[in-house]
Amino acid sequence: MESQEAGVQKLVTRTIALINLLFFGRLGDFSKDVPATIEASTPAEIRQRLTTDHPTLGKELSEPQVLVSVNQMIVSWDQPLADGSEVAFLPPVTGG
Amino acid sequence: MNRIRIQTHDFDLAQEYHQLRELSSTVGAVVTFTGLVRDFELDASIDSLSLQHYPGMTETLLQEIVDQANKRWQLIGSTVIHRVGELLPRDQIVFVGVASQHRADAFEAAQFIMDYLKTKATFWKQVSQDGQQHWVESKDADNDAASRWDSTDD
Repeated sequence: MESQEAGVQKLVTRTIALINLLFFGRLGDFSKDVPATIEASTPAEIRQRLTTDHPTLGKELSEPQVLVSVNQMIVSWDQPLADGSEVAFLPPVTGG
Repeated sequence: MNRIRIQTHDFDLAQEYHQLRELSSTVGAVVTFTGLVRDFELDASIDSLSLQHYPGMTETLLQEIVDQANKRWQLIGSTVIHRVGELLPRDQIVFVGVASQHRADAFEAAQFIMDYLKTKATFWKQVSQDGQQHWVESKDADNDAASRWDSTDD
């Protein structure tokens, strides 16, 4: 019973995950001083936290055309994040 | 048979056409498109072009686009090649080839793949103009071209 409670406790406190960050295209120019990892529970929280320390990057990330992916899948900004996830910020693509 | 390649080196149009043509004796049409590096961007000449992509995700997205094309049209095979890295004006940059029994399928599928590639696949172009580098902005015309296929989405 004790160990079960400890397990539940662990689950509740593990809402903040360590995330690997990637910035592509023009966003890369604004993220040179950004650490490679950050602790956050959603992409929106990452954006919010980056805006505090890097306002220019934050403004770029808030552009409606910027998409976010988690482990190489496009997701919504409120997607819950798991430890070790790869979160990438994607400006409009210009290939072809 | 569908082939997707992302590579720094050039490709040979004749060889790619030959492979599509030889896929099956039922191939009655092969449509190929080749995109080249223009020597201008926004009315100013460019010295070179650098192409970045998101390894892994790009291949997945291209595969999804090709899968959609196969659902919409009767295709025998396709090839998508996109170059990355440093390119110069007049270089070949992208190839889309589609083989089918009848021409309408190949024409439309090639155009669909190219329109979706331009607006959905994770590539980013940076041009060098007079020693200054800047990222290419996405174009509304490309989004309009892709959106015409959305209305008939399954």
